[in-house]
Amino acid sequence: MTRGEISIDERYCLGCGYCVHFCARGCIVIPGDRFTTMGYLLPVFINLERCNACAVCAWMCPHQAIEVYKYVESGQNEPEDISSG
Amino acid sequence: MEKIKVRGAPKSWQRSTSPLTICPGCQHGVVAELLCDAVDELGIQGNTIVISGIGCAGIDAFMVDMDAFIMCPHGRTCDVATGIKRALFGKPIVVALQGDGDCIAIGAGSLISAALRGEKITVIMANNANYGTTGGQLAPTTLLDQVTSTTPEGRDPGLAGYPAHVPEMLVPFRGVAYAARGAVNTPANYQRTKRYLKAALQKQIDNIGLSFVEILSACPANWHRTPVECLKWIEEKMIPEYPLGEFKNADRID
Repeated sequence: MTRGEISIDERYCLGCGYCVHFCARGCIVIPGDRFTTMGYLLPVFINLERCNACAVCAWMCPHQAIEVYKYVESGQNEPEDISSG
Repeated sequence: MEKIKVRGAPKSWQRSTSPLTICPGCQHGVVAELLCDAVDELGIQGNTIVISGIGCAGIDAFMVDMDAFIMCPHGRTCDVATGIKRALFGKPIVVALQGDGDCIAIGAGSLISAALRGEKITVIMANNANYGTTGGQLAPTTLLDQVTSTTPEGRDPGLAGYPAHVPEMLVPFRGVAYAARGAVNTPANYQRTKRYLKAALQKQIDNIGLSFVEILSACPANWHRTPVECLKWIEEKMIPEYPLGEFKNADRID
């Protein structure tokens, strides 16, 4: 199975919770004790094993705070960009 | 194992050093992201001019990194878009990025005149069912029985009229090449709306006529709901009133 990882940029996140709502695999949670520099509740990526880099969190993030990465075997060609089409 | 980036901000997204000035959960950011994605996929970033009026949709224009973005008086976005398109001999791709108040309340005359003339521009209307910037007053797109700050007991049709359906209204105009309505409340609707936006921009590239896309977007601050409840409200209340889909798709105008 494809494995992925996301990074959430604290500078842009406003804590709306869309990423938590749209992650079908429950990889993102808002723990409630982490805050962004602006004082909003910060979501945290917790589940490295279950993330499959579907990038729905990055689509639905209104502030473009999320970047999605995918793990591939070294030497493979770059896979097709799943964000297009 | 190697880590590669599959998705970040679109190429034509303007990354500022500070957070965006939209409210938490406001989907205007998604509307701008869809426009950036559509423009990137068509490869017209250096040739696109985005025009925006006053209102929350005006913030969208600050998020795009294209040829130019221009702010104009409230409701006159289609007029300014027409002027730019004609003054530059029809060369640039001109996108009028509007809110519902800008497009169908104050700018209704401009939109209808542009549709009558069949201007080769693309109009994007983000519909959040109220006037977001000024504090959630009644707009033409407000639903019946929706509570706003000027209709505290819900919109009464006898007093305040009925909601405006803009893409359906534009279908009989002969100058209109494309009219569609999308939403961004689910990933499926997100992808569908991106297809509509690409089709609308393609109509302008092919020089056919005016193309119009309405996008339903959440406004948690003025609907007094949490962002996730807003998505549910769009699904349950707004989509039955404003059905999604393509209403007109003309290949040529006689």
